[in-house]
Amino acid sequence: MSTPLGRSAGESWRVLRTPLLVTGLIVLAAIVVLIATSARTSGPFSPDSTDSDGARALAALLKNHGVDVHSTETLDDAVQPGEGKALIIGPAGSLGRPDLERIAQARWSHLVLIRPGSRALEILAPGVQQTGDVLSSRSREAGCDLPAAVRAGTVTVSGPTYSAPPAAVACYGDGINNTVVRLEVGDRIVDVVGTPTSFTNAQLADDGNAALALDLIGTHQDLTWYLPQFESTGTGTGDSGGAPLIPPDVRYIAWALAFAVLVVAIWRGRRLGPVVAERLPVIVHAAETTEGRARLYRRSRARDRAAAALRESALGQLHKAHGIPRRADPSAVVATVAARTGRDPIMLYELLYGLPPLSDAALMSLSHELDVLTQEVRKP
Amino acid sequence: MVLTGRAGVLAAAGVVFVALVMPSWTGVGLVVAVVLVVCGVDMLLAGSPRRLQFSRNGDNAVRLGEQAVVQLLVTNPGRRVRGWLRDAWPPSAGVQDPPHKLDLPSGERRRLVTHLVPTRRGDRHAVRVTVRAFGPMGFAGRQGSHEVPWTVRALPPYKSRKHLPSRLARLRELDGRTALLVRGQGTEFDSLRDYVPGDDVRSIDWRATARRGNVVLRTWRPERDRQVVIVIDSGRLSAGRVGDAPRLDHAMDAALLLAALATRAGDRVSLLACDSAVRADVRRPAPQDVLPSFVNALANVQAELVQTDFRIVVSQVLERLGQRSLVVLLTGLDPAVIEESLLPVIGPLLRRHVVVLASVADPRLTELESARTDLPEVYAAASAARTRLDRDRLTATLTRAGVTVVDENPDHIAPTLADTYLSLKKAGRL
Repeated sequence: MSTPLGRSAGESWRVLRTPLLVTGLIVLAAIVVLIATSARTSGPFSPDSTDSDGARALAALLKNHGVDVHSTETLDDAVQPGEGKALIIGPAGSLGRPDLERIAQARWSHLVLIRPGSRALEILAPGVQQTGDVLSSRSREAGCDLPAAVRAGTVTVSGPTYSAPPAAVACYGDGINNTVVRLEVGDRIVDVVGTPTSFTNAQLADDGNAALALDLIGTHQDLTWYLPQFESTGTGTGDSGGAPLIPPDVRYIAWALAFAVLVVAIWRGRRLGPVVAERLPVIVHAAETTEGRARLYRRSRARDRAAAALRESALGQLHKAHGIPRRADPSAVVATVAARTGRDPIMLYELLYGLPPLSDAALMSLSHELDVLTQEVRKP
Repeated sequence: MVLTGRAGVLAAAGVVFVALVMPSWTGVGLVVAVVLVVCGVDMLLAGSPRRLQFSRNGDNAVRLGEQAVVQLLVTNPGRRVRGWLRDAWPPSAGVQDPPHKLDLPSGERRRLVTHLVPTRRGDRHAVRVTVRAFGPMGFAGRQGSHEVPWTVRALPPYKSRKHLPSRLARLRELDGRTALLVRGQGTEFDSLRDYVPGDDVRSIDWRATARRGNVVLRTWRPERDRQVVIVIDSGRLSAGRVGDAPRLDHAMDAALLLAALATRAGDRVSLLACDSAVRADVRRPAPQDVLPSFVNALANVQAELVQTDFRIVVSQVLERLGQRSLVVLLTGLDPAVIEESLLPVIGPLLRRHVVVLASVADPRLTELESARTDLPEVYAAASAARTRLDRDRLTATLTRAGVTVVDENPDHIAPTLADTYLSLKKAGRL
């Protein structure tokens, strides 16, 4: 009598296992590919990135020259004691003031700041300031007596420029706006470099870029390559450096909440059987053609046709009411109706057999007059 | 798998737990695990909707607008099933009940009643029975569906039956059961009976009176055993809605009243519903079967949006009629269609039979014609007047050709058609 619909659990498993297997394999493959490629694409100026804005070529060049490059993205590696070592800080302005102060306290012998922001300049390279001028890519002579720059010669420069304090050596600029600034802070050498793109994979081979990079950066055997990440700020974004604005527990609550929402969605979302559809009849009103013709009359201002229909209809009623023969003469009709209603025969003739109305107002009045006439006829 | 509000509450409690007690990944994992385990166990413990067995009985047919009762017997051979049952029907079957609550212990059987008030004519098939069974804790459950076939046929409403008693009374007047002593055309000799003071002396049969010794009267009755063929046009002319139902439905109503009346009058009634093909065909059923067979045949006839082929109508009618008969054609008075496709082919019918053309008029046209307060209404009135004039002209043409035309509003079409039949019968034109 009754047949179960749908599939049992066993049937469902047999049907679903192949798609599930395929989906699982695809997800697995995607994860593998993602892991395999993530090392090479960890962002601009990364020593592991082979993209055109990466710096793997520079890192390889440094290794070939005997420099030990440690790539890192965590602050802890950047604040370790650094006597006799060099630290290069990648182009990211997301470090907070306390972080920068910890870096300043670590005793690095050589600091290279790639396109630093004003906060980093204030703490790590006092006296150097951003001039606000931003250069588009061009080649420039050294224009200073920094040995590294003199040896490199012409170099591609672009990006922000910096003003140098009197004690510093400023290169690749016009004296005020400089791209490379070297100054000594205590016993530490600090290089401010405004042109990160010159050292990327794409442009390292141009001009004297590679020579400048090697001479600037490759001064120490032990180089820590620090690329600040947004997560590593850790202590908030403001200068206050106070308590974080979002408590760390919130994320767990959010996940628990998301799960609860999912449960509620499944609870509310499951219907008691599918919606039943059926074929509906076409609804056509019988008077639709008549109403359509009325709109056509109106749009084309067919006053003559409208008036003719109204007159013919009124005449039909008069014929019926007064017992006038169907094929009676207009004058006979007018005479009969005039005699019965006491109207002026000339006006009546004009009303029943006159010319078509020339305006909408005339049509309205004609319709009204005919209406009155037929109602008069109907009354007695 | 289904979840309940309790599972949602449990998960929400988990949020509070994570927030206050264990704000860590362990806490989140614990909550997820608890919810999954509780719901999973509950689902496994729920009774199986798939193993339920169903059967139906109840009404097979119902007049449109009345209530049908269909019973569903649920037998549970497995674990106790507690939850909801939905007996799904198409929307136009008009299910009156919300989903049934079900609590069916193992090995028991329940009778669930579904009330249907169909909103459209025709067959309505049960779609499926869906059962949702919750586990003993009420956190989760299982859901399954069954196909339990059943069909309820919504028959034409036959609202015009209220007019039948008055028409039957008039028929009896004709019929000689009340005194009908005037001999006329279309009557046949019924019987001789004794004279009662007040009877018409012109009806005295002197020959019989002489034989019997007392005054004897002849009575007459209308001719019986005539053929009536009702043809319903199910083409596009019948699709237009007049009021809240298509012309076709009003035509069926009129056809059923006429069929009931003609059957009582002793005539043999046949039915044909036709557009570009024959949709319903009932040939001379036994008198007691006329109405049941007609409503059954008409239940699934719907107006098709095609042009009716009147050649089929004429050939079908001619094929089934030998003697002079009454042919009632229920269609629309559309000048273009009637003049182009009916008038050229109706000749053979008119030569041998009496033809009545009945059409449902649209009261909306009268409304349009009388409302004339602003310009669009005046144009509408002119258009409606033109439509009516065309119909009047067509009626005149048909009448000249020998067709009796009945053009009435939906409320009056059935009684007027019945009256037309009675007057034709009285005039002896059958």
